[in-house]
Amino acid sequence: MSEKSADNSMGPLIDKAKADKAEICWDRLDEQSPQCGFGKLGICCRICAMGPCRIDPFGEEADCGVCGATADTIAARNFARMIAGGAAAHSDHGRAVAELFIAAAQGKAPGYEIKDEQKLLQVAMDFGIPVENRTIRDIALDIGKTALSQFGQQEGELLFVKKAPLKRQAVWKENGVTPRGIDREIVEVMHRTHMGVDQDHRNVLLQGTRCALADGWGGSMIGTELQDILFGAPVPVIGKVNLGVLKEDEVNIIIHGHEPLLSEMIVNVAQDKEMLEYAKTKGAKGINLAGICCTANELLMRRGIPIAGNFLQQELAIVTGAVEAMVVDVQCLMQSLPIVAQCYHTQIITTSPKAKIPGAIHIEFSERDAPGSAKEIVRRAIDNFPRRKGKPNIPKEQMDLIAGFSHETINYLLGGKFRGSYRPLNENIINGRIRGVAGVVGCNNPKVPHDELHVAMVKELIKNDVLVLQTGCAAIACAKAGLLLPEAAKQYAGSGLAEVCEAVGIPPVIHMGSCVDNSRILIAAAAMVKEGGLGDDISDLPVAGAAPEWMSEKAISIGHYFVASGVFTVFGVTWPTLGSQALTKTLFEEYEQTFRGKWAFEPDPVKAAKMMIEHIDKKRKALGIDKARERVLFDMQKRRELGS
Amino acid sequence: MEEKKEILGETYEPGKPTEPYNWRKKIKGRDEMLRYLAASERYWYSKEWFGSEKRKNPA
Ligand code: SF4
Repeated sequence: MSEKSADNSMGPLIDKAKADKAEICWDRLDEQSPQCGFGKLGICCRICAMGPCRIDPFGEEADCGVCGATADTIAARNFARMIAGGAAAHSDHGRAVAELFIAAAQGKAPGYEIKDEQKLLQVAMDFGIPVENRTIRDIALDIGKTALSQFGQQEGELLFVKKAPLKRQAVWKENGVTPRGIDREIVEVMHRTHMGVDQDHRNVLLQGTRCALADGWGGSMIGTELQDILFGAPVPVIGKVNLGVLKEDEVNIIIHGHEPLLSEMIVNVAQDKEMLEYAKTKGAKGINLAGICCTANELLMRRGIPIAGNFLQQELAIVTGAVEAMVVDVQCLMQSLPIVAQCYHTQIITTSPKAKIPGAIHIEFSERDAPGSAKEIVRRAIDNFPRRKGKPNIPKEQMDLIAGFSHETINYLLGGKFRGSYRPLNENIINGRIRGVAGVVGCNNPKVPHDELHVAMVKELIKNDVLVLQTGCAAIACAKAGLLLPEAAKQYAGSGLAEVCEAVGIPPVIHMGSCVDNSRILIAAAAMVKEGGLGDDISDLPVAGAAPEWMSEKAISIGHYFVASGVFTVFGVTWPTLGSQALTKTLFEEYEQTFRGKWAFEPDPVKAAKMMIEHIDKKRKALGIDKARERVLFDMQKRRELGS
Repeated sequence: MEEKKEILGETYEPGKPTEPYNWRKKIKGRDEMLRYLAASERYWYSKEWFGSEKRKNPA
């Protein structure tokens, strides 16, 4: 196993990249080292031309910038801007979905249709849109327009805020952070963090909080819900994961990024008989689609398309020499892709007008002719098949997984057709078979061994009877390790969790989708509260969140909306506010008083898991259900003794 | 005396599925969908249920 990754497919490919003189992210990290200490601590500022300024963390030199900004202000501004960047990314994705949604409802987006009427009705009710005696198209048009209006709304509250528990809504009101409009909150962060505006770190952070909530309960949720209506709410599906899903004798097309709008169409086109025949004329036996990052998660959840890998596998997928085309949309795309591709035959194809990369081919996605763009892309990939440079080097590693656990599916699986319900989950938490629930999400980061932290953390959690919900690259990491299979319960989970998983037929680690689908975790948490028996607010639940290998601004926005929703959330790798004691104290301590959720930083994944379990136990005690767990464990031990 | 506990049994069909388990197809027609939402997604779409927010004596 390589020291750079817990995934056995990676080591030989990293060596191959070196031999092929393809520079990859670990090489670039070496070239960047040592990285700027001020930047790491969050106390460098370059937002005006009097700077750049930096604060001496040891208190021996400058303690403020030229304008007088302190470490607290600078770190708070930087942190809030990270939230704004993340919220903007998720929300602009949501906006793109809303725009396509409207075009589909108007019949102006050939190839797209409303696939999930039930979800359409659900969202219509969320938005207060009448459904009686109305056509699907009319309802869809109103939903699309209402969703789009949420971005530019200036006053009032975002509509999805109503889905949160009442007590949570009250906490937001008390603290003045209920989001008004998605774009407004992002713009206000940018204004307040401009030179010479908001210079009270707590006040800056409050706006950061409102912005993060506009992401989780706004832009991200719109993305998830409207995609579900367009492409179908996910249902349980079996899939495959890791680079071993690439096929030597087929045209391999990798779809990478975050928005599934065009890639849904590529899936259709790749199954087209005419295209398959065309591939055969070029010597290929078929067309094989596989995903990377969250576009992969979206297509896996809804179509069962295999996943080639997560964030840190994007360059190495090319290094296999087996990829004819890598089609990218937005977010988490390394600019190095076309440079790595020069060593092989892979064509990098950008498709979004928002995300072009020098050296890539650009085939723009237009909703007016998505099937046309998709055909052009697939054809190009087929044409590229004969240009392979020698025999490809496809790792053998691949793993089965079960995905497709939307909130709707979990509710159905637990309760059944006549009365879907979170009751069995709550009951098993109350009786102690399940100790609590953890969301383990986020990215990869080359500063830490790839996947290792995700897998170690999740194994520790399930061993201790904590049910794990996952999204994003974290889910892909654990899927590769075989944790997203029902069999994993017997092998890795504690006896209480294993018993429940076996009874319901679910894995101990539940794949809920892409990064925008963290909104599904918010809804699941709200459902647990509303079902009853576990308190009145998300902050009462025995739950915790984590992103042990995070790297992006989106992760900070996600983490912050979980904290602001009442969840204890621990991040690994590095923490971007450590240069300000006051701000770090606000995030790590004071937020527990105001928002009843707080941040923590712990780079060791097992220690971090223990902190989460400790928090879960604290919540169990507060709910008065700590004794039930002791009893259930005692019963299990007795049963095992009887059985032996 | 020790509390009686329900012992869970298997509630799913054995074997590895090859097709997606599309339970949503079982709910057909708008009326049935609306009924399903009112019953199963009652947390948001029905007034007739009792959960943490509908107790007689809210905490
Ligand atoms: S805003 Fe202040 S701290 Fe930042 S670069 Fe300008 S002078 Fe320096």
